[in-house]
Amino acid sequence: MTQRFLILEDGSSYPGEGFGAGATTTGELVFNTSMLGYQEIVTNQIYHNQIIVFSQPTIGSIGITHDSYESILPTAKGMVVRDVSDISKNRQRSLSLDQFLKQHNIPGISGIDTRHLIRQIQKNGTMKGSIVDVDDDHAFDQLHATVLTNQQVAQVATPVPYPNPNSGYNVVVVDFGLKHGILRQLSRRKCNVTVLPWNTDAQSIISLDPDGVILSTGPGSPLDLPESVLEMIRTIQERIPLFAIGLGHELFALANGAEVTALPVAHHGASHPIRKIITNEIIYALEGQEFVVDGESVDRDRLITTYRDLIDSSIQGLRHRDYPAFSVQFFPDGAPGPNDSVDLFDEFIEIMGTREELHG
Amino acid sequence: MAKVVVDAMAMQRALTRITYEIIERNKGIDDLIILGIKTRGIYLAQRIASRLKQLENATVPVGELDVSKYRDDIEHDSQENDPKVTVAKIDFPITDKKVILVDDVLYTGRTIRAAMSAIMDLGRPQQINLAVLVDRGHRELPIRADFVGKNIPSSQSERIKVSVSEIDGQDSVEIIDR
Repeated sequence: MTQRFLILEDGSSYPGEGFGAGATTTGELVFNTSMLGYQEIVTNQIYHNQIIVFSQPTIGSIGITHDSYESILPTAKGMVVRDVSDISKNRQRSLSLDQFLKQHNIPGISGIDTRHLIRQIQKNGTMKGSIVDVDDDHAFDQLHATVLTNQQVAQVATPVPYPNPNSGYNVVVVDFGLKHGILRQLSRRKCNVTVLPWNTDAQSIISLDPDGVILSTGPGSPLDLPESVLEMIRTIQERIPLFAIGLGHELFALANGAEVTALPVAHHGASHPIRKIITNEIIYALEGQEFVVDGESVDRDRLITTYRDLIDSSIQGLRHRDYPAFSVQFFPDGAPGPNDSVDLFDEFIEIMGTREELHG
Repeated sequence: MAKVVVDAMAMQRALTRITYEIIERNKGIDDLIILGIKTRGIYLAQRIASRLKQLENATVPVGELDVSKYRDDIEHDSQENDPKVTVAKIDFPITDKKVILVDDVLYTGRTIRAAMSAIMDLGRPQQINLAVLVDRGHRELPIRADFVGKNIPSSQSERIKVSVSEIDGQDSVEIIDR
């Protein structure tokens, strides 16, 4: 293990030990409080451009497994952990987190006081950081000079359509940088899926005659995407059952007149209880959001609030009053868990079923 | 032999979906009233009303209908041959209201016809919609549901058993071979 440094925009430097790739990396620092699922987290494309700090002290203790990839080519910029485990054997495959990160050219740093670091992020808000070999003035200059792209969706979403054939309902997934959990849940329910690029227009979607449309998760700000995406959503929701997740939810809200703002501190983890308003149940789900729908801006004549975070009472779900169109901010696909809201996919299937009976 | 075709989770989802569909179809819940039929329809009606209250923060009145005496497919013995409707607990006006009639199973349609006659005797609603947890087919009258929890194509030799936790200790729909 070699000594490396995590340096931050505020001038601080944290010495630690490098693991994974040895490259120099720069990204936005976010922290994730999930107790499990490091592989799903580091492969989730919402972390494009970001260095993920894990609050769970030991990371890597079950190696890398076949069924926990959320993307083919992960694009997170780095991992910061207190303690990395080099366990490379699990019952499915022999690959350690360290080897995996080397394969994908993602640097990691361990031996960091992550509790202290997370308090700094909570206090100062989002900061840029770098994992570097030497924490000299040059490294800080480089860090300050780095401008991160705001074209994250275009970087990670599929540029071309592709099918995932099956025998059930025809579902179009509009890909803003989807996590595989969405496809996995549709696959379990035998949906015949076509994944389309994020900038597909409504007419191209309608011409595929889908029973339902999903707007996927993805990285970055919904405000950086063009108005044409919102027009697509407004056209689709009037005609076809719609289920929007994560970034898709933020876009669905924007398309229906609500406003979306940046959170002072991003939510990444599964520790927030969420109230399902219609039945007054408490559920837990993995959250990964830097933006939030502004509750004041929601037009109650158009949208119904369906889920709320109980810690900060932020909006976690919406539903259109006039159409079978609904959205959740959190990730319901159980990858990693909790699985409390996986049955939202069943709800989506059942809505498609109702429409089929109505229209024959 | 009994086979569970709708479990507790699926029943919750069905009632949730029906609730959203009611809001969609009626453009809100103004002038809405819900009437549950007999035993289990009443509990389902109350659950839909409580969901609407959670979402809209407004109370939708729930009434109860007992139409057993009104059905023309039940043979009554001479003592019970009373055609009077037993209408339990509708303590609000229904004229010009939008009625959501709720029952557990839609089968021949005769119960619903009887319920509609009973409602018409009480006033003149603006419209009547029908919500059922299960549509099992085999209609004998031209009646269809506006909101269906689950379509269960069944043979007439089978029995559909709906259980609700309020009185049966569990939420489920089972098909039982007779």
